Order: sequence, then C-alpha cells, then structure tokens
Amino acid sequence: MSATRTSADLGELGIRRWLAALRLGVCATAWASLLSCGGGDGGSSGLSGGGSGSGSTATTAANVASVVANSGPANNTVNTLYTSVTVCLPGSTSNCQTIDNIQVDTGSYGLRILSSVLTLSLPVASAAVGNSLVECTVFADGYSWGPIAAVDVQIAGETASSVPIQLIGDSRFPTIPADCSASGGSEEDTVTAFGANGILGIGVFKQDCGSDCVATVEPASYYGCSSTQCVGTTVPLANQVQNPVALFATDNNGTIIDLPSVAEEGAATLTGSLIFGIDTESNNVSGSETVLTVDPSSGYLTASFNGDPAALSQSFIDSGSNGIYFTDADIPVCTDTDYSGFYCPATSLDLTVTLQGVNSVTSTVDFTVDNAETLGNTNPTFTVFPTLAGTNPVADSFDFGLAFYYGRRVATALEDETTSVGTGPYVAF
Amino acid sequence: MRRPRSTIDFKDGWFRALAFAAALCPCVASATLGEPEASVQTDGAKFNASIKVTELPSYRLHEIQMPSGSVLKEFSGADGKVFAVVWSGPRVPNLRQAMGQYFDEYAAATSAAQAARTVHSDHTHLQIRKADLVVQTSGHMRALSGRAYLPQAIPSGVSLGDIH
Repeated sequence: MSATRTSADLGELGIRRWLAALRLGVCATAWASLLSCGGGDGGSSGLSGGGSGSGSTATTAANVASVVANSGPANNTVNTLYTSVTVCLPGSTSNCQTIDNIQVDTGSYGLRILSSVLTLSLPVASAAVGNSLVECTVFADGYSWGPIAAVDVQIAGETASSVPIQLIGDSRFPTIPADCSASGGSEEDTVTAFGANGILGIGVFKQDCGSDCVATVEPASYYGCSSTQCVGTTVPLANQVQNPVALFATDNNGTIIDLPSVAEEGAATLTGSLIFGIDTESNNVSGSETVLTVDPSSGYLTASFNGDPAALSQSFIDSGSNGIYFTDADIPVCTDTDYSGFYCPATSLDLTVTLQGVNSVTSTVDFTVDNAETLGNTNPTFTVFPTLAGTNPVADSFDFGLAFYYGRRVATALEDETTSVGTGPYVAF
Repeated sequence: MRRPRSTIDFKDGWFRALAFAAALCPCVASATLGEPEASVQTDGAKFNASIKVTELPSYRLHEIQMPSGSVLKEFSGADGKVFAVVWSGPRVPNLRQAMGQYFDEYAAATSAAQAARTVHSDHTHLQIRKADLVVQTSGHMRALSGRAYLPQAIPSGVSLGDIH
C-alpha cells in the first residue's frame, strides 16, 4: 500500500522528514557497523553516558543478551530496542536460525517472528477446534496474523524447549477472518510495517491471552484454520503463545533491561543488556530499587502528573513505546506535520511524575521534554532520544516508553514469580 | 449522586422505552459512529453485550459491557446520531461494527501509515487525524484503549475531554 495520503491526512506522530533523513543518511554513509541498516545485532560502542555500566562485565554471562537501540531492519524507527534470538526445530541443535532485529518489548507477551525472515520450515500447531492454530494479534496500531508453531528458543545462554511462537504473515494462511481485521484495523505483516524482524514479548504475563482464551472463544484472537477458512477456538494456556522467559530452564522469573544514560540531545545508537532472571545470579541481584506491583489483569499502574490529584489509572512502563506519552495541554505540540503529536516546547522542560504501584508504593521520576523538531532536525541520523515525548491518545494514561529505560536498570518480574524483594507482576527500578 | 438531567428534548418516547429495555436486557447493544442511535436496535445482539444508558446535559452515553471484559462507550447528541465511540479493556471490540461507514477510512489511513512508517513508529500508539474523522489508540497487550470521533459532529457543550 503506497503512502499517497498527505501528511495532514496521516495526522499525528508523523516523523517523515526524520525518518527520510535516517534512510538517506545512515544507510548511505559508510556506517561503521551494520547496526543502523538492519544487519547487526550488537557490538557497537553506542554511547556510555554514565549509566550503571553493568554491560561491560555482564555481556559474557550466560544470562545476558546484548540489546541495541537503532533504526531497525527497515531503517524506520527511533527509541526502539532490538536483540537476537535463535530458534530451532524442537529437539534439534542443527536445524536452527539466528534472527536479529527482534524488538524487545515489555508491553507484550511471547515471541513473534515475521515469516518473511524465517528460513526454517516449521510445522503448525493444531487447534482444539480442529485444523491449524492461527492467531490474530491486535496491537494498538494494527494487527498481525499468522500460525502458531513450537520451537526451541535460545537467547544468550538461556534455552526454552517447545515454545509456542507466532509466525507473522505466513503464506500458508492467507485468509484473514473478518472479525480479526475488524478489531485490528490494518494488517502489519511485513518487516517494514512491523518495524522489526519479530518481537520478543517479555512483559509481566506468561501467555499472550491467558485464562480468557481458555474458557471462551474470544473475538479476534485464536482460530482453527484450514487453508481457506477459520473458526474461532479456545486454547489451553500451554498452547498459547508463551513468554519464553517463563519457560527458560533457569533465570525464568523475570528480566532486567539495563541501558546506559544518554546525552540530552540523543545518540546515533545505544547498546545495553537484557539480563534474564532476578536474584538468580550474581549479576541480577535486587538492591534498593523501588518495587511497584502492577494490575494482575491489565499490567497497569497509576501515575500522578503535574500535581493533578486525579490518578492516571491506565499508565504503564513499556520498552515497546518509543517516547514518553502523556497529556499536558500547556505544552505546545509540534506544528511541523512531520512531527505532529510530539511535543515541541519553546524551551527544555524539566517535569516530574509520580508512579504508584498496586501495592501503593510510590516513586517520583524526573524527566525532560525537549522540542521534537529541534531534536530531529539537529541530529537527523540519531535514533536514540531520551527527551522525546508526545501526546497520549488516552487521557487517563501515562506511558513510560523506552526513553524511561535510558540510564536505568528496570526489572520486570513475571506474574506469580518470586524474587527477593517481592512477587510479580511487578516493575522495579 | 444524582445525575444531571438531560436538557435534550427527546420527542421520541419510543426511544426511551427502547433505552430502558436495553438497560435491562443483556442482549441489545451498540449504535454505530455517524448513524442514528436507533442503530442500537438494528445492531441488535452483535456484541452479545449488556448496555447502560446515561443521559447527560449535552449528550447521551451508551455504555456497553462486552463479554470479553472490555467496555465500549458510544456518545450520541441531540440529533440522535453517534458522534464518538470509546473503548478500553483486554480486547479491542469489533471496530467495523462500532465505526460503521468510517471503518474503511480508518483502516486505509492506518495501512498507509504502516507502509510508510510515518504516522507512528511503535505498536503502542496510533493517531489518525482527518477532517471528518479522528482515531486515537494506545495500550499494550491485554490492555488496549482508543476512541474515534467525528470532529464536525461534536455537539456544543461537549469537550474532547468528555470523550473518554
């Protein structure tokens, strides 16, 4: 589908000029590594702005995967974190494929890989209702469609056997059910539309749907499909797409994302660590961090912003969001339509927000909002912007995206799993 | 707390009866964006949901509780037409049903955005802003929210802040 609409049609959050500059600049220049043009999975120096620096000692540990924020495989993202994942036919150590540019997302659950980058031939799981098990995955911005297959997953030195994952855009199942597209809006089953070769959902939940899909045929969810038609189906918990971390043999109670801090103007790329397990190894020990439990159904916590006593009840911390998204009518939004939806304050703003967990524990966070147009125009090849913020489409929500993770060590404890400082689901930093 | 009394002159006592029946009956649900709220009736049981109707000074709110646990709210004005729909919960409702004739416009704009990756660059947000239609969504897996409204059809006395 070509982008024939005007930017005004397309509306907010446009960063066309920014991304165009990325395409022309980053890929055309002799960029020292393959990172920004989609070939790499780590190894760049990135910036080290005085973060916790654990990566230097931890990158060789079996429970640490290297992660990088860059423009992704389609050279069209900012503030988006990627890693590499190896998948094998169940039980095989030779029929394997390592796939880079897998987005690291604490806002979803389970591993999904674009079928177009997969060379392994994987048998599709069976549905309770008969035929093949195929899923409609609805994101806020669209949906992904494809079958479920079991693979052995290896990330860094961690392995999990027979993990149900989704193969997005698999040509074996070309027919998309009407209620899938009716809930999802539009399909994002290509690397360009998806902005990644796949997504590693390592949020607080162990399955993507959970108990809802065990008891009830949920619309726009799981289906039993022949090559020509699909019927909605229930799915036992174990057959749903699984958060691979929960199935690791060890270090399976959660994750820690550890990223260095970044200079205010941003950086070309940023490398850090994804550490598996909490209080399971010497490199993932809990300390004095604040533990905020999240809603066991939604994953939400609450936030209070600008002294407004009204709690923003649909708030969340999400490595899959590319900015800090909140509502403040006093901050000007960008006038350049390429940046509309982002904030463009006249001067840099230092702001404060207070998070509150379901456990009533609070944490006050300082953050800075800079003019998005200035950020992008000053350094058009940058892909890491710690002060990028935008309007939140939902007034009751404060979304702490990847920028929140810069300069922090953010732990995500899985539901029902215990660490030395609490029981998940929680987020700690 | 006593709810504000509607100032709308509902000539159609028939609708009041329907709304009252709908409030009691778990099988009736949903009007559609841009269409008369009588589409509550024609849409019938498509959502298989229970509905609550509240009259406010400048609009009427239909609150539809889905079996999935999600909530769909529909806002209708004095002209009886639905000018906004809002959803939240673990699963996104059938937006083709909720947006009616505007769904295709929304889906096409979103597709164009994804192909170009210009409107958004994450999976957590989407904003489509056109002259006749605004769609805004946000959220993560198991907790998704959004709203669609017709900017030119919002009744006087209703602010965007009311549409949530």
